[in-house]
Amino acid sequence: MTQRPPSPALDQLNKKRRFKDRLLWGIAACALIVIVIPIIWIISQVVSKAIPHMSMSVLLTNTIGNGGGLKQAIVGSITLLVLVGAIAGVTGIGAGIYIARYAPRAIAGFLRSTVEILAGVPSIVVGFVGYIALVVGSHWSFSIWAATIVLSAMVVPYIAKATEVSLRGVSDSLREAGEAIGLRDSLVLRKILIKSASPGIVTGFILALAISVGETAPLLYTAGWSTTSPTFSLKHSPIGYLTYPVWTFYDFPVKSASYLALEAAMLLIILVIALIALAHLLRHKLSKNLPQSL
Amino acid sequence: MSIRGRYKKGVGVVLIGIAITAAACSSSSSPKASSKSSPSTSAAVASSQSSSNPLDSLESYLPSSQNVSLTETGSTLLYPLFNVWVPEFQAHYPNYSVTTNGTGSGTGISSASNGTVQIGASDAYLSNSQTSATPGLMNIPLDISAQMINYNIPGLSSSTNLKLTGGLLAKMYTGKITNWNDPAIAQLNPGVTLPNLTIVPLHRSDGSGDTFLFSTLLSDTDPSGWGTSVGEGTSVSWPTVPGALAENGNGGMVSGCQKTPGCIAYIGISYQSQTQGTLGEAQVQNKSGNFELPTSQAIAAEAASFASSTPASGAISLIYGPAQDGYPIINYEYAIVMKTQRSATVAQAVKSFLAWCMDPRYGSVPSNLAKVSFQPLPPSAIAVAAKELASITG
Amino acid sequence: MSTHTSSTQGLPFSPLRGSPLSASPKGQLNSSKYPYRVFLGLARWWRAVVEQSPQYLSAVLGAIPFLALVAIVIILFHEAFPAIKVNGGGFVTHSKWSVGSEYANPIRRDGVATPVGATYGAWPLILGTLEASALALIIAVPVSLLSALIVVEKLSARASRWVGVFLEILVGIPSVIYGLWGALTLGPFLAHHLAPIANHIPNVPILRFFRGPTYNGEGLLTAGVVLGIMIIPIIASTARDLIRQVPASLKDGGRAIGMTDFEVSRKVIWPWIKSGIVGATFLGLGRALGETMAVLMTCGAVLGTTAHSIFSNMNTIAATIVSQLDSAQTDGTGFAVRSLAELGCILIVITLICNIGAKLLLSRATHDTTTT
Repeated sequence: MTQRPPSPALDQLNKKRRFKDRLLWGIAACALIVIVIPIIWIISQVVSKAIPHMSMSVLLTNTIGNGGGLKQAIVGSITLLVLVGAIAGVTGIGAGIYIARYAPRAIAGFLRSTVEILAGVPSIVVGFVGYIALVVGSHWSFSIWAATIVLSAMVVPYIAKATEVSLRGVSDSLREAGEAIGLRDSLVLRKILIKSASPGIVTGFILALAISVGETAPLLYTAGWSTTSPTFSLKHSPIGYLTYPVWTFYDFPVKSASYLALEAAMLLIILVIALIALAHLLRHKLSKNLPQSL
Repeated sequence: MSIRGRYKKGVGVVLIGIAITAAACSSSSSPKASSKSSPSTSAAVASSQSSSNPLDSLESYLPSSQNVSLTETGSTLLYPLFNVWVPEFQAHYPNYSVTTNGTGSGTGISSASNGTVQIGASDAYLSNSQTSATPGLMNIPLDISAQMINYNIPGLSSSTNLKLTGGLLAKMYTGKITNWNDPAIAQLNPGVTLPNLTIVPLHRSDGSGDTFLFSTLLSDTDPSGWGTSVGEGTSVSWPTVPGALAENGNGGMVSGCQKTPGCIAYIGISYQSQTQGTLGEAQVQNKSGNFELPTSQAIAAEAASFASSTPASGAISLIYGPAQDGYPIINYEYAIVMKTQRSATVAQAVKSFLAWCMDPRYGSVPSNLAKVSFQPLPPSAIAVAAKELASITG
Repeated sequence: MSTHTSSTQGLPFSPLRGSPLSASPKGQLNSSKYPYRVFLGLARWWRAVVEQSPQYLSAVLGAIPFLALVAIVIILFHEAFPAIKVNGGGFVTHSKWSVGSEYANPIRRDGVATPVGATYGAWPLILGTLEASALALIIAVPVSLLSALIVVEKLSARASRWVGVFLEILVGIPSVIYGLWGALTLGPFLAHHLAPIANHIPNVPILRFFRGPTYNGEGLLTAGVVLGIMIIPIIASTARDLIRQVPASLKDGGRAIGMTDFEVSRKVIWPWIKSGIVGATFLGLGRALGETMAVLMTCGAVLGTTAHSIFSNMNTIAATIVSQLDSAQTDGTGFAVRSLAELGCILIVITLICNIGAKLLLSRATHDTTTT
C-alpha cells in the first residue's frame, strides 16, 4: 500500500467530515433526550402535585360532588377495562387469527387495510357515532354497554394487528413440522401458532387496554359520569371513570376539585405504567422456553 | 338545630297541614315519615311560612323507602348548590343516591330531553323549538341566581367596584373598546385610575345558561347593536376580538380570569366565594340607571318585580327589570324534567327531591343558599313550580 | 331413538380413545359393535365441527372490524347528510359558527328545519387542525428520525429496548394528562419563557406570526408542542423498524469505502427509508388530526377565529366536536348536532386520506426492501 502524500486540504476535509459526524450523533442524542424529558416532566409534575393530597380515603370513598374520593371511578375504570378486555380481546384476537391464517390472500389484504383504517379513525368520531347510535338512538342512555362497545371498537384494531403480526412472525418451519406429524389444524393453531405468537399477542392486548383506560373524549358522551359504584345494569346507568375528574376538575376553582383531578391523573399514570410493566413481564415469561424455529 | 331535625319538623308541618285541611288527596304518606314526625312541631315555622305555602300540598312527594338513583347534569352555576343539597338529602334519605354533574346548561337540557338523565339543570329556560321537539319537557324554577361581572385588573384595590353598563360590555365583547384606560370606562368611574391594559373578554366554550343571561343583558341594553348582530342564546357566535379566550364551565371562567390580567368575565354568583379577593366585581347599571352590586337585597328587589308575572310554564327572563334598586342580571335556576319518567318510583323520587330542594324550609334554607349567594323563590313562583312538579308521572 | 339410548350406554368407553389421533386403524373401529358406530359418527361430526370452528368463528370475528368501520361511516354520513345539504360548500370556506336563535321559531331550508340565523362555517377549524398538526410534525419528525437512527445504529440492544419502553409510555399516557400538563405547566412555561424571547422577532409580515401576546398560555404553540410529543412514538417506532430493514451489507459497504456514520446515514440509509418516512409522517399526521382532549385543554378553544400568531387561541375540528356537542343539543331542530356530524365527516375523510396514503407509502417502502 502506498503512503498517501500529506494534504492539508484533505485533512481539513476529513476534519470537517468527522465534525459533521459528531454533530449528527450529538443532535441525535438530544433527540433521545427530547423523548425522555416530557415523560419525566409530566410524571414528576403530576405525582409531586398529587402526592401531598393522596390518602387511603381517596381510594375508599366515592366522589361527592367535586370532592371526596375516587373509589367509584377506579371501580368503573377497572370494570370497563375488564369488559373491553373480554370483548375486544376475543374479537381482536379472532380477527387477527383469521387474517393471518385462514383468510384467502385477497380478503386478508382487504381486512388488514380495514383494520388499519379503523385504527386511524379519530376517537372522538367513534364516540360521537356511539352517542348518536347507542346512547340516543338505541335509548341506552349513558351506560356501561355503550362505553364498552365504543372503547372496544377503538382497541380491536390494535389487538387484531398485534395478533396478526405475531402469528405471521411464527417461523414456517415450526408450523410445517406440526403439520407434518399429522397434528390437527386446531392443534397446530393452539399448540404451535398461538403459543409461539403469545408473547406478541399478549403484549399487544395489554398495551391496547392501557390505551383504552386513558380515553376521555369517547367516554364523555357514552359513559356519562356517576358518583356511585357501577351497578350491574349494563344499560341506562352511567358509570364513573378516572379520566373524567381530570378533564372536569382540573381548572375548577375549588381546591378539593383540583386535588381530585391530580389524584385521578396520578392513578391513571400508575395504572398505565403497571399495565406496560405487566405486558413486558408476561412477554418475558411467555417467550422463555419457546422454540424460535426448528 | 340539625338539618335533619328541621326537616322532620317540616314533615310534621306538612302532615298537620293535611290533617287540618283534611285534604282530599290520597294520603299515601310513607309510614316512615309519619311514625317519625313529632306532632309537637313548632307552630312558629308553620305560621312564618304561612299555611298557604304551595309546597304544603306536596305531601305525596315524600321520599319512598325504595332504593332509587337519580342523575343530575347541567348548569355549572347550579352545580355547587346541588353539591350542597345532595349530601344533605342523602344523609336524610339513604335510599336515594343522586349523582351530580357540572356540564353546562346545554347538556342539562339535552340530557333531560333525550332521557340520559332524570334531572337537567339549566340557567336558561327552554326555547319553543325545544319544547316542540320534545313535548313533555318542563322547566321547573328552583331558586333565584344572579350573575357577576368580574375583571382582573392588577393594582386596582378590591374595594373598588368598577361601574359598567351593558352597552359598555357589548363594546368590549365586540372589540370596540379594547383597553381598560378607554375614556368611556373612565367617564363612568371618576377617581379610579385605570391602567393601560388590553381588555381580554372571556366567554364560555360550552353551551351555557350564563352565556344566555349575559347575552340577553347585552341584547336588552344594546338592542340595535348586539341584539341584531349576535343575539342571545346558550351559545352565541362571539364576535372576533383579538385575544378573546374561551373557557369551559364557570370553574374555567374563574381560573381563566385569575390567570389572565386584563380579563373581563361573566361568572355565576355561586362562585362568589372563589372570586372574592382574587377578582374585581363590577357594579352593573340597571334599567333605572342605578349601579348595583349583586347583593341579596338587590337580587331580591329585582326578583320581586318579576315574581307575579311568572307564567305557568315557568319560562321568563328576569334580566334588566324595572326594579329601582335591583341588580339587572338575575334568573330562575331551572330543573329540566320530562313529564313522564321511566317508572312511578323514579317519578316519585324526582318530585320529592326537587320539592325538597326548592323548599325554603329544607334545601333552600338561607344557610344553604348563602353558600352560593342564591335567593329562594318567591311564593308565587313556588306555586308555579309546585304545579309543574305535580304533573310528573311514572 | 333406541339407538340414542344405547349410544349413551357406551359413554364410559369413550370413543375418543379410539380416535385417529391414537393411531388406531379405521377398519378396526368400523367393525366394532353397532352402537359404537353411531356414536363414532357423532364424534366425527363433532370433531369436524371443532376442527373447522376456529376457521368459521375467526372469520366472523374478522368481519367485525370491517362492519364497525362501515357502520361508523354510514351512521356519521347519514346524520350529517341534511347539514351537508343545507350548509353547502360554504361550510368549508366560511368562518362564522352560530347555532342561531334558539328562542325564535325554526325555519325550513331545503326541507330541513333549522333555527333562524344558524350558520356553520368550519374554515377556522379546518385551518386550526392543519396548523396544529403541521406544528406537531415539525417537532416530531426530526426528533423521531434522529432518535430512531441513534437507537438502531449506536445503542446496545438493552438500551434500545428501554427506549422502546419509553415510547410505549408516551403512547400510554392518557390524552387528558398531556392536556393537564400542557394547560398547567407547559403553556405557562412557554408564555413566560419563550414568548418574551419571541417578541424580539421583528414585527413584519410572516415573521409576525411567531410573536404575539400569550394571555393564559393556551394557544396554537402549546397545542402543537403537546401534539408533537404525542405523535413521536408513532413516527419513531415506524422509523426504527424501517432503519432496521436497511441491509447491513449496504451499510458495511459504505463504511468500507471510508464513509463516516453521518455519510452512511445520509447516503445509504436515508435513500432507503425516504418513502417509508413520508409514510410514517402521514401516520403521525393522522393521529395528530384526530387528537381531542389534549388539544381541547391547550388550544384555547375559541370559535370563529383563525390564529394570527403561534401564541394565539385557536381550535380544531376534534376539539370542537367534543366541546360543542353538549350545547349543540339545545338546538331543538337537531341541526347543530348534524353540523357537528358534518365536521366529523370532514375529519374522517382527512384522516382516511392520511392513513391510506401512509399505508401505500409504507407498503411501497417495505416492498422495495424485499425486491432489492
